[in-house]
Amino acid sequence: MAKAARVWWAPGPRGRPPGFTWMIWPAMLFALAMIVFPFGYALVLSLQDFVFGHEARFVGLGNYVRLTRDPLVRDAFVLTLELWLVSLALQLAIGTWLGLLLARSRRGRGLARTVLVSPFMLPPVVVGMMAIVILDPSFGIANWLLGQIGIAPRLFLANPETVILTVAALDTWQWAPFVALIVLGGYLSLPSDVFEAAAIDGASGWRRFRHVTLPLLAPTIVTAAVLRSVDLLRFFDIIYITTGGGPGYASTTLNILAYRRGFEFMDIGYATAMMAALAVAVFGTTLAFARIRRAVRW
Amino acid sequence: MKKYLLSACFGLALLGAGGTAAVAQSFDWQSHKGATINLLFNNHPWSQAMRDLTKEFTAKTGIEIRMDIFNEEQFWARRATQMQAHSPDIDVFMSLASREGHVFDQAGWYVDLLPLVKNPAATMPGFDMTDFSKAVMDGETVNGKLVGLPINQEGPLFYWRKDIFAKCGVAEPMAAEDLLPAAEKLKNCAAAHEMGMTVPWSSRGLRSTLSYNLAAFVYSLGGDFSTPDGKSGLCQPKTLPGLELYAKLLKDYGPPGALNHTFTQVVELLGQGRVAMAYESSNEFSNIVHFPNRANDLGVKSFPPSRATGISKPAAIGWGISISAYSKQQEAAWLFLQWATSSEIEGRLVQAGVAPPRASVFNGATFNAWAAELPIRRAWAESLLAVARTGTGFYQAPTDRVPEARDLTGNVIQQIVLGQASVKDAACAGDVELNKLQ
Repeated sequence: MAKAARVWWAPGPRGRPPGFTWMIWPAMLFALAMIVFPFGYALVLSLQDFVFGHEARFVGLGNYVRLTRDPLVRDAFVLTLELWLVSLALQLAIGTWLGLLLARSRRGRGLARTVLVSPFMLPPVVVGMMAIVILDPSFGIANWLLGQIGIAPRLFLANPETVILTVAALDTWQWAPFVALIVLGGYLSLPSDVFEAAAIDGASGWRRFRHVTLPLLAPTIVTAAVLRSVDLLRFFDIIYITTGGGPGYASTTLNILAYRRGFEFMDIGYATAMMAALAVAVFGTTLAFARIRRAVRW
Repeated sequence: MKKYLLSACFGLALLGAGGTAAVAQSFDWQSHKGATINLLFNNHPWSQAMRDLTKEFTAKTGIEIRMDIFNEEQFWARRATQMQAHSPDIDVFMSLASREGHVFDQAGWYVDLLPLVKNPAATMPGFDMTDFSKAVMDGETVNGKLVGLPINQEGPLFYWRKDIFAKCGVAEPMAAEDLLPAAEKLKNCAAAHEMGMTVPWSSRGLRSTLSYNLAAFVYSLGGDFSTPDGKSGLCQPKTLPGLELYAKLLKDYGPPGALNHTFTQVVELLGQGRVAMAYESSNEFSNIVHFPNRANDLGVKSFPPSRATGISKPAAIGWGISISAYSKQQEAAWLFLQWATSSEIEGRLVQAGVAPPRASVFNGATFNAWAAELPIRRAWAESLLAVARTGTGFYQAPTDRVPEARDLTGNVIQQIVLGQASVKDAACAGDVELNKLQ
């Protein structure tokens, strides 16, 4: 029997109308203009010795070679990783604990959710300004409060040894509640019979958490880790507002270094190469987490 | 007779044409009525005061104003991005020619204002260019082009609490060498702490901003940011004492966290009465004396000269306003520049603590009446004259990559304060990096 000719209005395989595929083109064009073009343009810039106000010169992979030899880039990369690891560990631990705490409390859950949402509704610039006001060793209220309970004043953001930990703590304050809400959602969707079976088998407390709750929540926690990792690797606002990358270079992460190189020193080609390297790191991390996500599914 | 009449008519016609030409060339504030110009300004006492005055410009010229004011670093980023994109969205922008003049001129971002100054149709009669102080006009002249008109003059000044000094029996520092002994005495003075002082000293410690304050220490103690052969000169024996004094004051007598401090924190500490001495910009004078009692208990003067060299040589700069080469409204923008830098407007900006670059305003009745109201205002005005007389706009190693050079210089001080390197090691390592910028 001869195959019937396709018409634009005829339903296609699985009921989809093939005649309407042209309708995705506006979205494709939008994606090309808004995502592919800027990214491609940035890659082209990264292959040039381009300082604002001067003629750009093609240098091939010269900027990338320079990256590998620049001690400031190496230090900034290490700091970026440190900040990511410390913040992520704190946020996952505190967020999971808070999420489970909320899941088990019946009263005031709605109010608690509203309160938890409020930190991550704040713009990071506001969090940075709050940190300056609270943590400044000279006129911040934190040292005054510590003094009231007999603890010696701290330098917080002004000490090269504590600045990354302080920034990580600030980000954790803002984003651990976000992890908590994800964990809470994941926990509430778990089948209750598994927990009932564990209870009948005599598992309680830590053992139930370790062998039942945590494995079941693992896909949710990995999802939260992916979302936070992407943010943390390109962390910028709070550091920019509070320390500008200092003291010295103690909080100069790759993002801060690239920003200053690009917009203060106007060395756009090199700054773009830094950002391209960071984009690869973010993309690689996301892929790695995607694999972990598949490994922990149940 | 007919011939004479024709000649007379022809002559009158010529006169008429000449008269029309003369009218066409006359200056008119309303010549660009209906136009809109975009202004991009740094957050500064001048731009804040200007925000309230631009309605008068619109009333006078019929030109609408759109003004954007950003904090310094955001301002730099936005301006650079828009100018690089050759955007016509900026007509007038603030510029610190001592910092960026050469780079911007090479990029072709400035309109040369000299042809406009010389055009009688574009420039108001009596607009006196010679009234601007020579130092600031030299700063606005890059490679023979006039790249902007000056809007202020400024430099860091030494502020000290006269009441705390008196209570502790500490003499006013008359020389740079007196600063450390004074700080030591104040640190150990119980009365000073009872009066609210927490530490004796405050100045900028933030890497990218401190060179402005450091200049006086380096130059006055006999040092220089460059060597005679045009290299970076931080490691020279004559420069080290200035670096050491600046770092020691911050480290041993400054507030905790000083390395993250720029003018905002210094002003806050001085204004709140938590420090007894500070070295900060003349621009911040009006903010400082707004705090209770500070107008009465503070002293202000230019950086005390060194006993060894006999000189005081601080940073002295002036912001200017420039016209973008990509502006489609250059003549309307030029009207704004004239209005904003006129004697009348500068005289009114004095009330906001903006030091006028016009001699006629600085020596005028309005300014003098304002200065006479409070002794500290008079002291501030005299300090500014001293800064203009002895200061310099050059305070980094020789390079046209000025912001980067100042950042590296700031890093040298931070390393000393943090104890990560000795004065000499930090300075010599800094020179290596600074010489790479040449």
